[in-house]
Amino acid sequence: MKIVTMDPRKCVACGHCENACAFHRSGNYDHRNSAIRVNHYPEKSACIPMTCVHCQVAWCMDGCPAAAISRCVETDAVLIDADRCIGCKICMLACPFGVINFDTEKLVCFKCDLCGGDPKCVQHCFPGALEFENEEAIALGNRNHHDNRLIAMFGRENHD
Amino acid sequence: MIEKSRDFPPVNTFCRMCDNHCAITVHRDGNGQVSNIESYPDHPWNQGRICSRAGGAVEITNHPDRLLRPLKKVGSGWQEIDLEQALDEIAERVADLQTNFGPESMSVWKGEATSFNQQEDLAKRFCRALGTPNYLSVDSLCFCTREIGWSLVYGSWPKPDFRNSRCMLVWGSNPPASHPPLTRQILKGQERGATLIVIDPRLSTIARQADIHVQPKPGTDGALAWGLAHQLIVNDWYDKDFVKSYTIGFDKAARYAADFTPGAVEAQTGVPAQTVIKIASLIHQAGSRFAQLTGNGIEHYENGVNNTRAIAYLNALCGSFDMKGGAVQVDGLGQQSLALFDEIPLRQLKRADGDKFPVMRDFRQECNTMTALDAILTGNPYSLKGMIMTAANPVITNPNSEKVRKALAALDLLVVRELFMTESTGLADYVLPAATFLERTELYVYGPIQTVSMSTRVQSIPGVQDEYQFWHDIAHRMDFGEYFPWENESALNEWLLQSTDVDFKELQNSPQGIQYQQIKYKKWQHRPLTTPSGKVEFASSYLAKQGYEEIGEYKAPRYLNNPKPEFPFSLITGARNHLTYHSSYRGVERFRAEYPDPHVEMHPDDADGSGITNGETVKLSSVVGSIEIPVKIVSRQEIIPGVLQATHGWKEANVNALTHDDILDPIDGFPVQKGVPVKVERVL
Repeated sequence: MKIVTMDPRKCVACGHCENACAFHRSGNYDHRNSAIRVNHYPEKSACIPMTCVHCQVAWCMDGCPAAAISRCVETDAVLIDADRCIGCKICMLACPFGVINFDTEKLVCFKCDLCGGDPKCVQHCFPGALEFENEEAIALGNRNHHDNRLIAMFGRENHD
Repeated sequence: MIEKSRDFPPVNTFCRMCDNHCAITVHRDGNGQVSNIESYPDHPWNQGRICSRAGGAVEITNHPDRLLRPLKKVGSGWQEIDLEQALDEIAERVADLQTNFGPESMSVWKGEATSFNQQEDLAKRFCRALGTPNYLSVDSLCFCTREIGWSLVYGSWPKPDFRNSRCMLVWGSNPPASHPPLTRQILKGQERGATLIVIDPRLSTIARQADIHVQPKPGTDGALAWGLAHQLIVNDWYDKDFVKSYTIGFDKAARYAADFTPGAVEAQTGVPAQTVIKIASLIHQAGSRFAQLTGNGIEHYENGVNNTRAIAYLNALCGSFDMKGGAVQVDGLGQQSLALFDEIPLRQLKRADGDKFPVMRDFRQECNTMTALDAILTGNPYSLKGMIMTAANPVITNPNSEKVRKALAALDLLVVRELFMTESTGLADYVLPAATFLERTELYVYGPIQTVSMSTRVQSIPGVQDEYQFWHDIAHRMDFGEYFPWENESALNEWLLQSTDVDFKELQNSPQGIQYQQIKYKKWQHRPLTTPSGKVEFASSYLAKQGYEEIGEYKAPRYLNNPKPEFPFSLITGARNHLTYHSSYRGVERFRAEYPDPHVEMHPDDADGSGITNGETVKLSSVVGSIEIPVKIVSRQEIIPGVLQATHGWKEANVNALTHDDILDPIDGFPVQKGVPVKVERVL
């Protein structure tokens, strides 16, 4: 399946993914409405984006007493049905990544739904930290990154 | 979900919420109203990515406060008038002023709010046709120092090839806020093994991914650049063949650099001596694959041009000029020139700035805005009586706002074309509605990828003119309509392309743009540079002849050289934000949650020292003026102690009330808007 992958090496915490997600969900750029969140740690010089990775064994889904969480047949995304959600927050407690949030107006939990297969966060990630890609690409991306370091160390480059 | 319409199919065009022109797709609803903006996937410039500024264009286009009718000042209020009548009256009043006070009593001021490509050349063309040398623009305080500084050394401004670089040096620029597509190139370069070094007193957005973040005292970049040059030279780390064959003035530069030992650089800039040596060795290791970007952050000082020149030298020294992964000399599209510089040179006419900045005149054919505003108030060298301002808001964006306000108010005629009422339209005699970028078509040239694109007119609003139509209509009411012969912008675009190999029709059907020329390197091997000597110029005989320093000497900013104890802080203004654009977009509702208010950034130690708490409103004062503004205490890494930063563009706390219009770079006339000595007082 394709998920939104996050590369902290390319994230600058510019906030455009959060703006785009919040707007898609709620019509404004208030980050409290965003399913993707980016944490910036200036003292550690780190930018950490995080959104739902749609676990194959989804603890949020297992824990939901209202059967409000299901897997989408088309996209394989783990989805919360806001109409069924009882706002118990068990899924928030179950999620080890902290990517399920609570909508304080509708009193339900919300998370990434992959925008039905065209994630707005990825479209608005101009630095390239977010990609919408499958498992194979994830491995390849990290492998390339690692190779690049070794190429820089050992490569015999043709300086043209 | 956002409604998509069959009657009004999506349109591929280019964003102009900032000057990066990312490819977008515009969706409209069943009434034809712009409803959503998404990225267009296949353009090589933004590669399917956009920033969330783009979406704001939906609101701007449909905004209830948008100017849609011409307004005429009547007493202290406004009267809506017919467009044709407004144009008749304006043309008549311009003609009257010129008859009574001479052609140069008129001026045109071009801003950033609608665009800056051929809009700029159209305004220049209008000035020439009108017979006035007084073309004014925001280029008096943005862009030109970089353009001139680099061009003095290389004949043009080479662009960094970050994707193929081994070492990337970013000086006073924050691409995630100011040049989003460049961010991707920088991070791609880093992924491929390049070292990213960011030089900025603030932890800017791009600095968050820097391998080395260097925080010099504001305005001391030139000393750091000379220190790096010194290391390259004394360690024999420079490209001797290139220097010998393709440069002039190296010996003079080498002699001057000798004083910039790592210790001396540390004393001047605050950058540790070891860091200077480390960066120099990284530049050396990168060799021909060393790329640098200079931003507006190094422009707003008295020594901006020479600091830029010193930085520019580094590419020549390490042999990375016009090399893959280095500083690539970009070939232009070669479109026809609109500005009438050759047809109507106007050399006999003095500019309103008294021609105090001959370098700015020679390179840009512009009149310095700060000095021109003085001319309005003093009548010296002559009286500037009238101004047509298009999409500019200098009351907020030029230094010393109070004086700007007084000067504009003193004009006999001020016409402002705008999208919304602003602090500057308030001083106008006529306010005319302007078209947004979705209501125009123009050419965009992407220098670094040598590609051209043409934007598409998505909609038109009756009575709301694009730039061309406005200049055309005034010119045809006066006696120089022959200079504006094209029926509309499309016809103009077609004419502009006639001198190129790009076909107008093909470009119209190419949302992915057309590469007009492949990138080539080492062009200096067979083509002289456009500098006077045809070579890279460490020493400029041109500048020496004008009475300036022959090489890019360093001068410490005034706040360091001549500190005033009553103004202990050094204020940087104008750090870019991810959503706003200079004074624009404060009225975009969706942006407000993310960027609601102005503030001044302060180091925790400085706050502790004065007992200031986060969010507290303080009085910030310079010699020029004072404002009240809330404090944002940032983390220790985000700014250096003793330095404050406030972003410009807020009418609620207009930081340009504090900046200097009287301390200017002697070479190009840029004002001191950074390194401004200020004091902070609590308002209790």
